[in-house]
Amino acid sequence: MAAVRLDGMLRQFVPHLEVTTKAPSVEALLDELETKYPRLRLRLRDETGAVRRFVRIFVNGEEIRHLNGLETPVAGQDRVDILHSIQGG
Amino acid sequence: MAGTKTVRVYLGTRKGIYALESDKARKKWKVRGPYQPGGDTFHVAPDPRAPGHVYAGVNNAYWGPMMFRSKNHGRTWTEIAPPLMSLQNSRKPTMGEGAVPAPIQAIWHIEPGPASEPKTLFVGVDPYSLYRSDDSGASWQPVPGLNDHPTKAEWNPGNGGPCLHTILLDPTRPSRMYVGISAAGTFRSDNGGESWRPTNKGVLVDFLPNKEPVVGQCVHKVVLDPANPDTAYRQDHNGIHVSHDGMESWKRVGKVLKSDFGFVVAAAPTRPGSAYFVPLQGESRTTWGGGLEVYRWDEKPHKFTPLIRGRAARGDFGTHREGIAADALDPPGIYVGTTTGQLVASPDEGRSWIELPYHFPAIHSVSVDSGDFVR
Repeated sequence: MAAVRLDGMLRQFVPHLEVTTKAPSVEALLDELETKYPRLRLRLRDETGAVRRFVRIFVNGEEIRHLNGLETPVAGQDRVDILHSIQGG
Repeated sequence: MAGTKTVRVYLGTRKGIYALESDKARKKWKVRGPYQPGGDTFHVAPDPRAPGHVYAGVNNAYWGPMMFRSKNHGRTWTEIAPPLMSLQNSRKPTMGEGAVPAPIQAIWHIEPGPASEPKTLFVGVDPYSLYRSDDSGASWQPVPGLNDHPTKAEWNPGNGGPCLHTILLDPTRPSRMYVGISAAGTFRSDNGGESWRPTNKGVLVDFLPNKEPVVGQCVHKVVLDPANPDTAYRQDHNGIHVSHDGMESWKRVGKVLKSDFGFVVAAAPTRPGSAYFVPLQGESRTTWGGGLEVYRWDEKPHKFTPLIRGRAARGDFGTHREGIAADALDPPGIYVGTTTGQLVASPDEGRSWIELPYHFPAIHSVSVDSGDFVR
């Protein structure tokens, strides 16, 4: 199963910051997380399904914006990091 | 809380929500907060139908627009559902090609419904939309008669974005309500929000080739007169205006001031026939000449009176459109929040002023709950 690590600022929405998943893609992973933790809905993606501007998702250290976006595949030993951008003031 | 004698002021700031408390004298204030620290809070709205209930629209830079409710005068807050944009109604971008989905960018204004509908709430958002809830914010429905208005192609965003920032309910006519949108102007519904028509006659637009369009006015804030809701006071990009006919027409009254540009207006329940304004320099969007100025407009004798004299609050101040409030006591207290985080308050309608010895983050909104003094 792939390992998923969530940003500490998401603790207000989820009980655990480290989870595992069998989801086959980043989009399926987000669907799974939002189903499991309903308060996460709309926090990572807006109502169009787009990842919010200051949310950054990495698969094995590569940001999905440089891979295949939400369709980026996730497999057995992968590691997914869901973080937020550094943002000034 | 029954039996308490507390006046509460709520601030929506660039970095969260603050709750301030004082007694009837309104000279010494306790400050609580920030709640939702870091959250860009455009509006905090106490619900006059439910003592202690307060709503807040928090636009989190990372996690998007969020709504919260407190049931204990702002001491603790619980997240409630935000409205969601109907994506089939998404507008075309101002620049570029093709229609793109336009999710809700920000929650701008929360308006509790009439006393006869204790679970109804209205919310104005960016982009250009009004939503209604009839279950205290558990779910939201768009108001298509306004959100899909036939004049929408002629609306353009102001510097704050395409925001619906003003929602007014006529207390004497349950089916009548008004909204203000930047930069589209004011609209009125006489059938509970089903259909809407623009109400901008008499408000010129100096930034368009056509100076007298039906829509396109950059309204900044409007309030209804507390005793006569057919009278409305309007701070527009193009000056201070008054209407006496339910916004059918407007007359500019602010030209006598050195500038009648500004963002804020408030009215006090104990001073019908009057409204409070903070004129700003049009170019800098800051106050004139080194100090905060607050003016009261009186319908009789039809003139402005300066309420801050002698530079009681020195500096160059800006205000955002929700940045003034008046309480319901007599004499009314007036509260002005600045974009640099000062709260300047008068407990006696301008005869004396204090600047709270606490500097807040940039203040977007000021609202007041006069508590048991008016119940």
